[in-house]
Amino acid sequence: MELFKPEFGLAFWMFIAFLCLFLILAKWAWPFIIKSMEERADLIDKGVAYAQEAKAHMDNAKAEADKLIAEARNEQAEILREATKMRNELIEKAWGDAAVEAKKVTEAAQVSLEQARKEAEKQLRTEVGDLALQIAEKVIRHNIANDDAQRALVNQYLNEVEAKN
Amino acid sequence: MKKAITAIIAVVIIALMALGYADTAAHRAHSGDGNAEVNPQEIIFEHLGDAYGWEVPFNHSKRIPLPVIVRGQDGSWHAFMSNRLEHGAQYDGFQIAQGGDYNNKVVQVLPDGSQYRPLDLSITKNVAGIFIAALLVLLMVFKVRNWYKKNGMKAPRGFAAALEVVVDFVYTDTIRPIMGKEAPKYAPYLLTVFFFILTMNLLGLIVIFPGGANLTGNLAVTMVLALITFLVTNLTGTKHYWKEIFWPEVPTALKLPVPLMQIIEMFGIFTKPIALMIRLFANMMGGHMVVIVFMLLIFIFGSMFGTAIGGAMTPLSVALSLFMLLLDTLVSFIQAYVFTILSTMFISMAHVHEHHE
Repeated sequence: MELFKPEFGLAFWMFIAFLCLFLILAKWAWPFIIKSMEERADLIDKGVAYAQEAKAHMDNAKAEADKLIAEARNEQAEILREATKMRNELIEKAWGDAAVEAKKVTEAAQVSLEQARKEAEKQLRTEVGDLALQIAEKVIRHNIANDDAQRALVNQYLNEVEAKN
Repeated sequence: MKKAITAIIAVVIIALMALGYADTAAHRAHSGDGNAEVNPQEIIFEHLGDAYGWEVPFNHSKRIPLPVIVRGQDGSWHAFMSNRLEHGAQYDGFQIAQGGDYNNKVVQVLPDGSQYRPLDLSITKNVAGIFIAALLVLLMVFKVRNWYKKNGMKAPRGFAAALEVVVDFVYTDTIRPIMGKEAPKYAPYLLTVFFFILTMNLLGLIVIFPGGANLTGNLAVTMVLALITFLVTNLTGTKHYWKEIFWPEVPTALKLPVPLMQIIEMFGIFTKPIALMIRLFANMMGGHMVVIVFMLLIFIFGSMFGTAIGGAMTPLSVALSLFMLLLDTLVSFIQAYVFTILSTMFISMAHVHEHHE
């Protein structure tokens, strides 16, 4: 059968054609294409590695920033708490101070009141004495007629004093 | 829109392919001696075989002439175009034999009337097909190379991208894992083999010129390819590879006094390339054969049960042939890849070193 008998001419030309094709491609085409492809693959690999690294860096930075923010929040809360505490303390202290002051004022007022009373008492006593002396003087001056008249006089003066007070 | 146009073009091409097969088959079926009897075997082998001219579809009286180069019995070279030998004509003492030992080959008619088969280096249909395939591969690869040269590190576009997928698959995913450090040294050969076989396979599926020559379904073509792999394997083989063949590490009784292992290993050297040769040849030839048989069903049924039945077979025939053509397209890729990966393995197996074990 013709199909199973390899023709010499065909094999000869096939060999020539393949050899030429191989020599041309092996010299000018394949090494260049393979090199280009591998270089680009390398470039892409490096790019991916770089991107991953950059992403890791960014993730780190983000975590750090988050940490900082959380810390700042805590600090803020702390400061607020502290301020509230301080304010309360201040208010309390002010209240205390005010109470003490008020007490002092009251006490001072009481003292001065007492003094005024005492003075008034003293004055009253002086006045009563004077009055008694005046009465006595008048009584002594009228020490003439009758006892009745003198008694009436005393009474009159006493009434006067009472009316005065 | 673009998709629709592509689809239409694909359908037209496939339809043309099928039409071409049908046309060829019809011509062959009726170009006999007017006898309605169909001889499928003759038609199939004529279609699968070589020819001295390139047939044109839909015009059977014309063939594209190709040069015939022969060396006669007296040692003189003769070169002329094949159209001088058409229809049994004799030129310069040469003619195409009809029947006999040299059926459809150029023979020299000697003065005593006997036929002499000269040394035949004609550019036949298959040789021209091989040249066209080689040229296509050359154009294709250089187009990609120039793209790389111009665009450097950019992501590939268009044809370069299409080819890069294939190169990447064959080189990065197949040759490099198998060969390792030696990959860049043998990659040019293996890539050339892959693209050459693939182009020849696909050209064989296209019916009209410049396709239609059954290239990889021809034993001479696959033989040359296998022979080159055989030479590369054995000429670059390491000492250890030869030691494994002539003095393998098996009990001495198997090596002396009867060199049993050596004989087996020697067989192994030759069976590998022969398997390569037969596998590609049989796959491609089988595919072509089935396509033609499906087309011939029309005429076989026509001659057996009448024209009407034959005509009714047409849709089935066309559908089956289309299916086979698509399958053959797949097989074209697979067989080119198989040839390449097996060549890679054979070559890398000849590069074993002691410490690999």
